Amino acid sequence: MHQCNCENPLLPTIVEVVDIKDETSDVKSFYVKSEEGVPFNVMPGQLAMVSLIPVGEGMFSVSWQEEQEYLQFAIKRVGLMTDELHKIEVGQKIGVRGPYGNGFPVEDCQGKDMLFIAGGIGLAPLRSFIKYCFKHREDYGKIQILYGSRSYDDLCFKDELFEKWPQEKDTEVYVTIDNAEEGWDGHVGFVPSYLEELNPNPAGKIAVTCGPPIMIKFVLQALEKMGYSDEQVITTLEMRMKCGIGKCGRCNIGSQYICLDGPVFNLAQLRELPPEW
Amino acid sequence: MQILNKNKLKAALNKLAETADVFVPAARGENSGFYSWKTFDQEKDELMLEALNVYLPPKNVLFPQTERMYSFQEEGSGVVIKESFEDSSPTVIFGARACDVAAIDCFDDVFLTRGYEDTFYKSRRDNTTIIANACYQPGPNCFCASMGVNPTDPATADIIIRDTGEDYVWEARTEKGTALTQKIADLLENKEVKIPELQAFSKNVEYDGVAAKLKGMFEHPIWDKLSEACQTCGICTYVCPSCYCFDIQVKSFGEEGYRFRCYDSCMYREYSQMAGGHNPREDAKERFRNRFLHKLEFFQERYGKPLCVGCGRCIVACPAGISITEIIKEIKEA
Ligand code: SF4
Ligand code: SF4
Ligand code: FES
Repeated sequence: MHQCNCENPLLPTIVEVVDIKDETSDVKSFYVKSEEGVPFNVMPGQLAMVSLIPVGEGMFSVSWQEEQEYLQFAIKRVGLMTDELHKIEVGQKIGVRGPYGNGFPVEDCQGKDMLFIAGGIGLAPLRSFIKYCFKHREDYGKIQILYGSRSYDDLCFKDELFEKWPQEKDTEVYVTIDNAEEGWDGHVGFVPSYLEELNPNPAGKIAVTCGPPIMIKFVLQALEKMGYSDEQVITTLEMRMKCGIGKCGRCNIGSQYICLDGPVFNLAQLRELPPEW
Repeated sequence: MQILNKNKLKAALNKLAETADVFVPAARGENSGFYSWKTFDQEKDELMLEALNVYLPPKNVLFPQTERMYSFQEEGSGVVIKESFEDSSPTVIFGARACDVAAIDCFDDVFLTRGYEDTFYKSRRDNTTIIANACYQPGPNCFCASMGVNPTDPATADIIIRDTGEDYVWEARTEKGTALTQKIADLLENKEVKIPELQAFSKNVEYDGVAAKLKGMFEHPIWDKLSEACQTCGICTYVCPSCYCFDIQVKSFGEEGYRFRCYDSCMYREYSQMAGGHNPREDAKERFRNRFLHKLEFFQERYGKPLCVGCGRCIVACPAGISITEIIKEIKEA
């Protein structure tokens, strides 16, 4: 899994931004392509370092690899580097290096019903797994997606959420926003409480969650209450990263490096680590 | 056995410096560390082959404080990577102590194993020959033996020299060491000399069982007490031969620039500060705890040895008087 496809793993490959799409007022999707197609192959949940070469680098989950066509990154504007990234235009050349980390256990989940629970930009990493399930639809059972954001505008991937995914076979999509607003007739409330309302049966199911730390905390509590075992619950962690290859030190939780041994862990593995996640 | 008479030491260093950059332990002004023989000032600098230890370790030789990684050039909306700076110039570290050699072993574990090789490190490492100076009279802050290091026999050194008073016993251990030895062959003599005996350590600490014990001590109140005096200045990480955390930054001027890496410290808030605002190690205590757990527990779990080689430098340097041996003792007693 931790194989590098370049001689120097810290050297980026130059790619072209071939499309940019506004997801929300502060999230944009960047579609990148190298001369050969994609700079490297990525498994769902793996990370890549995106480098606005003269400005800075940032580690992001790859939200989708479309065959040998492009890599997609959904990136929220949260600081200096992402501010600059949001200003670029189609045609800009940027650097990417990776893929890093373990990714989701797509094979171990085969034959299982899948429950995806995401908040805000936390849908970006889960989306690669969700789309992977749809692409290999016969390998997975029922698919349930529960997603929430602060407001309607803050919901990412709206066309998939409201148009495409609900039409997939044996799939249920539940969307909620934190506060009521005009024009919204869907569910209102936080993700963990909606989860408790829906009360999905744990039998034969794997729950995959990602979102703000506070949401994850309450989602994990809710799942435990509903009877999910620690092995049935998977999450993907975020830490500050610089190298991506387990060398620079900073992304550790206990003896594990999130960039290399993670970012995906099940709850049983997480409970072995110091509570710094 | 082969020996190098001390009167021929400078001649040997000059000879070695003809084909490599040779770093020697030396005092320079208020500071001491490993400096290039090329820049060694015969009037002002002072060789410190007896010192235990020089203030700074030789880690800058293999892992410079700042190191260029690659340069780039912008062209409109395009950008090209111009050059990557793997440094393969022949280098010698002369007179490293066993603790510093053991720290290089730790670096090898980090930079060369577990899935990825760091090519910047590897290139320097492959082209560096280590001449270790065996220790027989431990210094006041030395406790390497307590940390599993053998002061008289640094296992991965290419050459070991042993100070007998008038001479150095010169023993090549590896191919690299033999090759280097040939360059100064005419300065060596064959002579039987008595090898000194290792004297007792004045500082000792019981590390056995500490890693296992720490596993259950993450939330222990002891961390509040131990970290109270820490000013998170990061000097301990800077002087430590085995601390390797680095940052990656960029320098741009006009249309060109370069990306470089530089030492970072887990003692700094920014180290784990995320762009979105969250910081898993916001407080001094959390950072302090992570540093000592990394040294005494996490590294042991991952690489099978502690990330402290007992050189004593952090004990000397810490403005708050914090001592890793005292910390180990308190953990044992807690
Ligand atoms: S040198 Fe001392 S005060 Fe400074 S960060 Fe290290 S332990 Fe804290
Ligand atoms: S922690 Fe202190 S004593 Fe241990 S190797 Fe580092 S500087 Fe030396
Ligand atoms: S990002 Fe450098 S160790 Fe994980």
